[in-house]
Amino acid sequence: MMNERDKQLISSYVDGECTVQECERVESLILGDREYQAYYQELMKLSTVMEEWEDADVSPDLDRKLRASLAEQQQKGLMMKKEYRKYITGIGAGTLLIAVIVGVFTFHQYGKRGIQGRFTVASDDIGEQFRSGDAGLKVAVEKGLVAATSKTEQRQDVQLAKVELDSVGDGRDSTNTGRDRNVVIDEEKKSMPPEGVTQAVSGEVDKLALLNNNATRFKADASVNVPATQFVLKDSMQVSSAPSNGAIGGFQRSSYEPSMMPFEEREIAPPGVVFPNSGQTQDGNTEEYNLIKENAFLEVVQNAVSTFSIDVDTGSYSNVRRYLNAGQLPPVDAVRLEEMINYFSYAYPQPENGKAFSITLDAAGCPWNEAHQLVRVGIKGKSLEAETLPPSNLVFLIDVSGSMNNANKLPLLKKSLAMMLDQMTERERIAIVVYAGAAGKVLDSTPASSKMEILNAINNLNAGGSTAGGAGIQLAYEIARQNFIKDGNNRVILATDGDFNVGVSSTSEMTRLIEEKRKDGIFLTVLGFGTGNTKDGRMEQIANTGNGNYYYIDTLNEAKKVLVSELGSTLFTIAKDVKIQVEFNPGKVKAYRLLGYENRMLAKEDFNNDAKDAGELGAGHTVTALYEIVPADSEEEFATVDKLKYQQTEVIPSPEMLTVKIRYKNPDADVSQLVSRTLEPTQVTENPLGDFQWATAVAEFGMVLRQSEFKGTGSYDHVLGEAQASLGKDAFGYRAEFIDMVKQAKQLDVRPANPGQIQFK
Amino acid sequence: MNEEADEKLMKQFQEGDSQALSILYERYKSRILNFCLRILGNRSDAEDVTGNVFLAFFSGKYQPRLDARFSTWLFTVARNRCFDILRSRKGDISAEVIALADHRPVPSAGLEHKERAMRIREAIGQLPDEQREAMILRSYHGFSYAQIADVLHCSVDKVKVLLFRAREQLRGEMNSFLKEDQ
Repeated sequence: MMNERDKQLISSYVDGECTVQECERVESLILGDREYQAYYQELMKLSTVMEEWEDADVSPDLDRKLRASLAEQQQKGLMMKKEYRKYITGIGAGTLLIAVIVGVFTFHQYGKRGIQGRFTVASDDIGEQFRSGDAGLKVAVEKGLVAATSKTEQRQDVQLAKVELDSVGDGRDSTNTGRDRNVVIDEEKKSMPPEGVTQAVSGEVDKLALLNNNATRFKADASVNVPATQFVLKDSMQVSSAPSNGAIGGFQRSSYEPSMMPFEEREIAPPGVVFPNSGQTQDGNTEEYNLIKENAFLEVVQNAVSTFSIDVDTGSYSNVRRYLNAGQLPPVDAVRLEEMINYFSYAYPQPENGKAFSITLDAAGCPWNEAHQLVRVGIKGKSLEAETLPPSNLVFLIDVSGSMNNANKLPLLKKSLAMMLDQMTERERIAIVVYAGAAGKVLDSTPASSKMEILNAINNLNAGGSTAGGAGIQLAYEIARQNFIKDGNNRVILATDGDFNVGVSSTSEMTRLIEEKRKDGIFLTVLGFGTGNTKDGRMEQIANTGNGNYYYIDTLNEAKKVLVSELGSTLFTIAKDVKIQVEFNPGKVKAYRLLGYENRMLAKEDFNNDAKDAGELGAGHTVTALYEIVPADSEEEFATVDKLKYQQTEVIPSPEMLTVKIRYKNPDADVSQLVSRTLEPTQVTENPLGDFQWATAVAEFGMVLRQSEFKGTGSYDHVLGEAQASLGKDAFGYRAEFIDMVKQAKQLDVRPANPGQIQFK
Repeated sequence: MNEEADEKLMKQFQEGDSQALSILYERYKSRILNFCLRILGNRSDAEDVTGNVFLAFFSGKYQPRLDARFSTWLFTVARNRCFDILRSRKGDISAEVIALADHRPVPSAGLEHKERAMRIREAIGQLPDEQREAMILRSYHGFSYAQIADVLHCSVDKVKVLLFRAREQLRGEMNSFLKEDQ
């Protein structure tokens, strides 16, 4: 099985744009592996085929027109020439004058300083050199570190290889810890040996033998199929080639030395070290994550209110799980704390008296920092019984572009849809729109009771072509609008790996389009699929804009959670634009920090602004937000600004710690409603218990994965302890799985413990 | 193509040598036209853009940066103009379909050659804009990754990824042609 990164290297190699080491790697791949060999030959052939699109000539008309204009300009040019000269003379004279003035001044100063001054200057210079040398060194070290923290992928390679080696060593398979839930998805992954491992395990002797075997064969193949490149294989394993024409490129390097394999260096070197030549260039992975800058502690005196939008997405959790199951640590920006916490349902009380949701507010000591406390804000949306659910008008918008053609994308989606269909009745209508090279309607809006018809349509979906996401979205919303059910659940469900690339393609254009459609009362659910090309940030942003939610589906089990057991909360919105604003009392709380929700923060004015979009709450959904707070009597210092000179804020004595205000709209309303709750210090317990403890364990895990500067004493072991203590009934096994994930991460994580705290001497 | 001479010619032109401009025009007219043709997939748009690029260049409306290669600069101007047209086409799929149809080759050589040439045009036309640009600059104009990065205003690493993705897609589209005679 070829990997993306090596394929990308071969692509650069074909263009003659590889470093020496990359060339060596590619050559060893091509010589050593039939699949890579074929891939290389296909790329060469592709270059030849491309040449069949021949050049055209400029039409005589255009040529004539341009020549005429050229002649005209040349006439003018003669005129300009004289003016140009004038300018040049002017500028030249000006420069000369300035130079003379500067020269005279410098000479004057120099003379004034005398011999003493000159010595001082000289010694300063020497000192400066030393200083700058030192600084240069320091910068280099810092850069190395920055690179080490940002190039997560690379470190993962190292970790991956390390773990694999361990597992070979003691005879157990660490990437497959017996989780049968991944069987469907991971088949592909399992059959693919982690890169670099082969080289590491088999000795150099084996490698040479392998090369010898394949080299001869390749020689024959190459001379027949790739006439543009010639290989001359000698006993000393030299490969030389004549570069073909400019468009195709050719081998740049001529000698092959197995001992220079970059991957061997990687195996030996400690993790976290970035190899000069293994740079970003080898990274064929185009997954995108938006940078998350963690919320910092804010002092209550200056920032008394904290405002954010709820977020019921869980995509980040499944994505993190996917990484860990594949034996890699997730990139830090793929870890969104709020989505980790909200992956789990918590037993908050059902709302009373027909209210849309209930609010739970409590506080306890902070497990990773003794001096701090944690405040939990929990919301539970009203659960709807099957018979009281409003009728649904669902339009599935399915990405069938080439990139969806993986076992864990379209085929998984098909299975998921079939499962979901089993739950549905004639009250639900389903339409299917696909998009790839062009968008098209596959199934007109059909009652879910016509199962055969819908299943047929689903089974006939095939992946191929590029992605015209924009046109697809237009069409899907149009069908949703045509079949609009008043007081019903009207929703477009977009299933994609997020790689929109034809038509409206930038995220901002896409969000603008969806924003427009949102006004029609049609909601959006985004189901993210796949690996390697996942535009995670983009999908989440699209869902946020479209009054929607985003789920990442990595396994059939996850599909079951989202589309079967929690279908109600996935599909039925019971409150929209739900915003939370917390006001802290400076008399009781010195500073606070919201865990996660970084991309959901709102300005304090937005809270009362009904035009401002925010998150949706589904039927039976629970949403949890945690604040880490520093009590007012703490000695800790936080970055502050000077006291205002012309204003004075008066602290009103109150026994309360904080007030939580929640604003929301009913699904069809435009005007928001407000509810609020307060918390007093007497309600703070020593330790979080039950669900609260579970939520803190998940948050702590997220912070440890992110190597957060706020993780305090947090560690994998501590998370495990807390999680095991609060496992509860765990009817679906989600929590047990979490514990597996923590163990997996602990084994994989060989990063330096506190990267932020390394001091330079 | 001697790139160094381009800059020299440009300098000569700025110093008033109008002949230099003619040489540059002759050298680049066909390259710019073919670049636009492959980006836009439509002859009349391509001719429009080519005309505009040279008219703007002749009139001195745009001046090449002294630190940039002349070719990179001229292609950047052409690229931006093409982008304006592509942008105005966005959402209007039919325009693109027509554009592609408009460019089908005249039947001439063998049937297979004809079909292959047509398919590669279609396949290139279906690439995402940036991938298409990178691929065209690389394959038909021999631009280095660094030059492509300059034209597309992106990093060399992104160019690598763009070209790789483009090849992946083209490989998928042209599968039958790449495999059958092996």
